[in-house]
Amino acid sequence: MSSLRSKTVKEMSDLLDEYEIKHGPVVDSTRSLYERKLKEAMAKGKKAKPSPDQTYYREEEEVTYEYRTPDRSDGAGDSGSYIRSRPAWSERELKHETSYSNYSRPKPEYGGKEFSDEPHMYDLPPTSKSPYLKSTPGPPKEAPKAPPSSRLVPLWVQFVFFVAVAVFLYLVFSSMETNEPIKGIE
Amino acid sequence: MSTTSQKHRDFVGEPMGDKSVTSLSGIGEILGKKLEQQGFDKAYVVLGQFLLLKKDSEMFSEWLKDASGANSRQAGSCSQCLREWCDSFL
Repeated sequence: MSSLRSKTVKEMSDLLDEYEIKHGPVVDSTRSLYERKLKEAMAKGKKAKPSPDQTYYREEEEVTYEYRTPDRSDGAGDSGSYIRSRPAWSERELKHETSYSNYSRPKPEYGGKEFSDEPHMYDLPPTSKSPYLKSTPGPPKEAPKAPPSSRLVPLWVQFVFFVAVAVFLYLVFSSMETNEPIKGIE
Repeated sequence: MSTTSQKHRDFVGEPMGDKSVTSLSGIGEILGKKLEQQGFDKAYVVLGQFLLLKKDSEMFSEWLKDASGANSRQAGSCSQCLREWCDSFL
């Protein structure tokens, strides 16, 4: 290894760039500092010269990340790929902490498109619940889909609870309609 | 602001003019003498070195430690002092 002292300013500058050391002009007062820095860098083991490949990889990383982000938002509707819908489901889980996500989870492949819209329709009368009962074949499909989530309350319990609440509300609503014969407040 | 010393605030608050090296935060009598021996007799000369190192705090701290024997705290303090001065006046 040739002595750093004998290198020209240009050579020093090139070496510093090689080791990706941010530097200013190599003048008398800065020279010894840069020589020391280069010695340390060399002792650590030579980093590869900054090759264009590295920048390409970074671009690829950035590009794929950009491609992924729109997919995440649409991933619910696309039942084609497992991988994309997984992050979509986990995101939706975080967003909708209610049982809405319970409905959408077992069914990503089942007809993911319809059920992604379903969360907004949960106020419908219970007749719409019958398709949900078909979710029993859902659980086996849940295995590859659902990431191992640690649930305090099992999925089916939440399901039953929701049905019970809906039935209760329906009963309350239907009982309110029978006020017509009672006209005592007039 | 509350974590900086009075010396720091005094330096950073106005153009340095011809102030001596010891007016820099972190640089006391002993370090000041060592710097003067190497030709850095005024604060603006040390500023010059800071600028030569492209205002890189880490580089400047290392240089200062080499040149004057400052410890990490003193070098960091001086570095921050110069950086803030530059932000205001450069």
